[in-house]
Amino acid sequence: TSQRAPRRVPINSTAALTARLASIRLPPTISFIETLALTHPTPLDLAPEAASDDLRRELAFYDQALHAAVKGLEQLRQLGVPTTRPVDYFAEMVKADAHMLKVKQRIAEETTNIKKSE
Amino acid sequence: QVDRASGDLGKPQNKQRVLLLSSRGITYRYRHLLNDLHALLPHSKKESKFEQKTELYALNEVAELANCNNAIFLECRRHTDLYLWMAKTPNGPSVKFFVQNVHTMDELRLTGNCLKGSRPIVSFDKNFDSAPHLSLLKEMFTQIFATPRTSRKIKPFVDHVLNFSVVDNKIWFRNYQVVEKAPPIAPGQEPISLVEIGPRFVLDIVRIFDGSFCGATLYENPTFVTPAQVSFPRQTPQPGTDKVDHP
Repeated sequence: TSQRAPRRVPINSTAALTARLASIRLPPTISFIETLALTHPTPLDLAPEAASDDLRRELAFYDQALHAAVKGLEQLRQLGVPTTRPVDYFAEMVKADAHMLKVKQRIAEETTNIKKSE
Repeated sequence: QVDRASGDLGKPQNKQRVLLLSSRGITYRYRHLLNDLHALLPHSKKESKFEQKTELYALNEVAELANCNNAIFLECRRHTDLYLWMAKTPNGPSVKFFVQNVHTMDELRLTGNCLKGSRPIVSFDKNFDSAPHLSLLKEMFTQIFATPRTSRKIKPFVDHVLNFSVVDNKIWFRNYQVVEKAPPIAPGQEPISLVEIGPRFVLDIVRIFDGSFCGATLYENPTFVTPAQVSFPRQTPQPGTDKVDHP
């Protein structure tokens, strides 16, 4: 199929996209507390071989998220918003206790298996 | 407008609610992905499966009835391929993504966890500012994934990060728990570490539409190939077998 010429040029209407963004955008003066959204100062620039390397790619994502977490918590602390839950605050978690127990058991199993094989 | 002394954060400026639903015939795994999204978005409302395969703009009405101004719709094709729609209902724009590398929270067995209903920090790659279509997506992701502080079901802590990165013109999603280290912290060391929670998925843009589930195309991905084309590539005509129109 590579020999065939493309049917037509794919649409990429910069003007329409920009206008649409302006029509839905939240006010530019919106404070951080409303969205908690942050953009990393430098673009993630992964070489093609790094993009297909799981470890390097995940590390790049981790670094980006860590930067956001550090900056975000700093700003929240300045605003006096609590971040970490106190030890005595019990509430439903995203993953249930039963699920976390299974995860832990699996990890324990894996470590014992590694020890056995050694 | 934020008054630090009294803790008064001023009038809320970001009001969002997200409708979550899927097409019929969705597989087990994709249904779990939808449940994961529901668990991570306290400002979302899950509706029962949508019957229609065409005329998706009827979803605008469903969103309106559920008091939602955003929608995420999962569409399953050929029992294997997952398409994800994101829309600003009722006036648009909307995006159709092809979803790849789906791993639900259940499958991944990652050790991270967070409160159900805590607001996330939403982290964007700078690449989102590099092209008009990505800027538009960044704004949509912000409105859909950032939980407004006035949502009713939220818990008053911030303990996870939703991470959006652009690699290869595709959008990669990750979710991490924030672990604050107990002092003392060695100099030069970050006071925070992250543990992944899940789910994971990659969004490949198919098209961006002007309307919500309808309207003119604003952007189409030049490199997108449908999974059907990948598995059944159209035969290239052999030389000499082409039909020739004689005058």
